[in-house]
Amino acid sequence: MKELFPMKQIMGFVFSLMLTVVALAVYFLNMSFAMGMTILVVTAFIQAAVQLVVFMHAGETKDKGAIYTNVYYGVAIALVTIFGTLLTMIWGYN
Amino acid sequence: MKLDHSLPLEYRTEEGQLKILGFWIFLGAEIMLFGTLFASYFTLVDRVGSGPSGAEIFEITPVLIETLVLLTSSFTIGLGIHAMRLGRKKAMLSFFAITLLLGLAFLGVEIYEFVHYVHIGAGLQTSAFTAILLTTLGTHGLHVTFGLFWGLFILLQVKKRGLTPETANKSFIFSLYWHFLDVVWIFIFSFVYLKGMM
Repeated sequence: MKELFPMKQIMGFVFSLMLTVVALAVYFLNMSFAMGMTILVVTAFIQAAVQLVVFMHAGETKDKGAIYTNVYYGVAIALVTIFGTLLTMIWGYN
Repeated sequence: MKLDHSLPLEYRTEEGQLKILGFWIFLGAEIMLFGTLFASYFTLVDRVGSGPSGAEIFEITPVLIETLVLLTSSFTIGLGIHAMRLGRKKAMLSFFAITLLLGLAFLGVEIYEFVHYVHIGAGLQTSAFTAILLTTLGTHGLHVTFGLFWGLFILLQVKKRGLTPETANKSFIFSLYWHFLDVVWIFIFSFVYLKGMM
């Protein structure tokens, strides 16, 4: 039974629960918008990294380089889309 | 067929390895898809018109339940893949079944949430904000719904054919999809709900 619950994955799960609790601070505590967004960005991206490395086994095989390059590429395009949109649709008018 | 026995079952054939890499490329495209949805969401979030704002309609309890359920399901499918690598078919199928039940619970809460939103007058056509909110949440929910059927068929196939390089490969790819849905939810949880209630 014990070998079915590897330490690495249990730690990954506990860590992701802890990150969720930290993110919840922005709801339960009073803080500035900038402070709250900083906490959310940090916890969300660490959470995503935990999933990728611990649970999705992204770095396990010889395709490691291709997999990470592809994920970074996807994330880069997504970020350019999001911030480019914000720049042209919201911030550009202020 | 060339088999490399130093690798886990799902990676043993070259075809299997390429399928896994191919699925990662698909996930890259999915990241971009959700990127465009978030871009639209951040653009339209304050365009509430005469409808409610996020702070007025979001409730922390269902959102927390959804988050915990999906995080746990991501953990259990990870355990399922671990059991699969140990060759423990029964344990793997149990973990997959638990994962799908948790997925079903998530979907139940999300459907309740949607019904609630429409009930309090925050439907798809109420404002630009509610439209993009329900589109973003709905796209994720649709992915989960699709995943439930996909996972069910994988489960039945492993049950019937046992653990082979093919079924192990399919199960692993499904686990990648499921973890990805959890990652997307983390971003929805953080930048739609928590940001909205901050």
